[in-house]
Amino acid sequence: MDRKTELMEFVKEELLHGRKSDLRDDEDLLSAGIIDSLGILQLVGFVEKRYGVQVPDEDVVYENFHSIRALADYLGRN
Amino acid sequence: MVKRLLSLNGLAVLGAVINHASGWGFTAMFWWTDRYQAGPVPDFSGLGTASYYALRAAEQLIMFSIPAFLFVSGFFVAFATGRRRESLGWKPVGVRIRDLAIPYIFWSLALLAGKGALGSFDRPLGYLQSLAFGRAAAPYYYVPLLAQYFLFSPLIVPLVRKHWKPVLLSAGLLQLTVHVARYPVLLGRDVAVAQWVVIHSPGWFFPQTCFWFVFGAFAGFHLSVLKGWLVRWAALLPALTLVSAVLAFLEWELLFGLSGREWLPPAVTALDSIYAGAMILTFIAFDDLRPPFTKQLGELGARSFGVYLMHAPVLEVASRAAYHGAPWILGHQFLFQPLLTLAGVGVPLAAMIAIDRSPVRRCYKYIFG
Repeated sequence: MDRKTELMEFVKEELLHGRKSDLRDDEDLLSAGIIDSLGILQLVGFVEKRYGVQVPDEDVVYENFHSIRALADYLGRN
Repeated sequence: MVKRLLSLNGLAVLGAVINHASGWGFTAMFWWTDRYQAGPVPDFSGLGTASYYALRAAEQLIMFSIPAFLFVSGFFVAFATGRRRESLGWKPVGVRIRDLAIPYIFWSLALLAGKGALGSFDRPLGYLQSLAFGRAAAPYYYVPLLAQYFLFSPLIVPLVRKHWKPVLLSAGLLQLTVHVARYPVLLGRDVAVAQWVVIHSPGWFFPQTCFWFVFGAFAGFHLSVLKGWLVRWAALLPALTLVSAVLAFLEWELLFGLSGREWLPPAVTALDSIYAGAMILTFIAFDDLRPPFTKQLGELGARSFGVYLMHAPVLEVASRAAYHGAPWILGHQFLFQPLLTLAGVGVPLAAMIAIDRSPVRRCYKYIFG
């Protein structure tokens, strides 16, 4: 499974609880109400554990986490 | 620091459950005394006992819970705005309020229906007021309160971003005004201005907690400034937390004594706010330490809104079940409190897991947020 698919699965299963099956990778997770403050923090925890990366506090910003694609791009750069 | 916010939220919701469990503890200690010993009620002979002070200590230590929730929410607003946008758009604000409102209305209606089933009815306007001001259960004032902050956030965000010093100062002064006005009211003094301020600052209304949300937004926008403060003051923060907790505890006992009343319902004082701030900063300052149960607190933090909403009816049912079914337990706080806390956290978590594994898991967000 590639990163985007894994991230998509995590969001669908853990944050959406199966509510939305047609999630797009460029969909704004905040505007769509898919993640809230706690969802972001869960997402940070997931990527750190799954990919063995350390996400510095300064990188926990909207620009890196607003969509699956943005997050996958961020992980690709780090 | 940022990753600590999830476990801070977990600790805060655990604190909220302990706080409301201690509220039922005081009810059992003073108003339900006739269920486990002979005599009229209310019976305040339990004041000054070890059980009383244990409940008071628990109530004091968890004073950071609501400030911590608001701090995390303020941080979220900064996150949702991002680095490039001037302010937060109305769309994420509307979505956030909707996502808070649906589970809140669900649990409020469930509680109001429960009261109706027991024969307690209200006027239609009364039900609307219950929903608008979070009166279906004592802890529910928090949801209308949080919704107000989200509504204000498109206005707050540009100010916090560009002029954080005057905004933090103004929010701090507004909050302090409400706390200071409360002192003469608690002491039963006839100070008209203080009474006006307190009457017009109920729990669901923003002035008495506004600093925490603004402080969270400041943390999100000016993380490097906050981190600089934390590095500079880290050594003092644990001591400040401890000292302010002890002083706030003693302050309340003093206020209670000076008030001359039989009982003084809990209220947040200025010293409580100093303790809450010190506690939050201590928790996030030492993010390289992993205290016991960090993982579990993080998991609880991720489910905090659902636990917060559901713990209120669970504690009420558990307390009333003890009153009717096992009244002897009401006289043993060392047993009653752990059982209530366990039920207040465990039942909501079990319900969440059950719903998440059931065919109706698509409704999870609407029930637990």
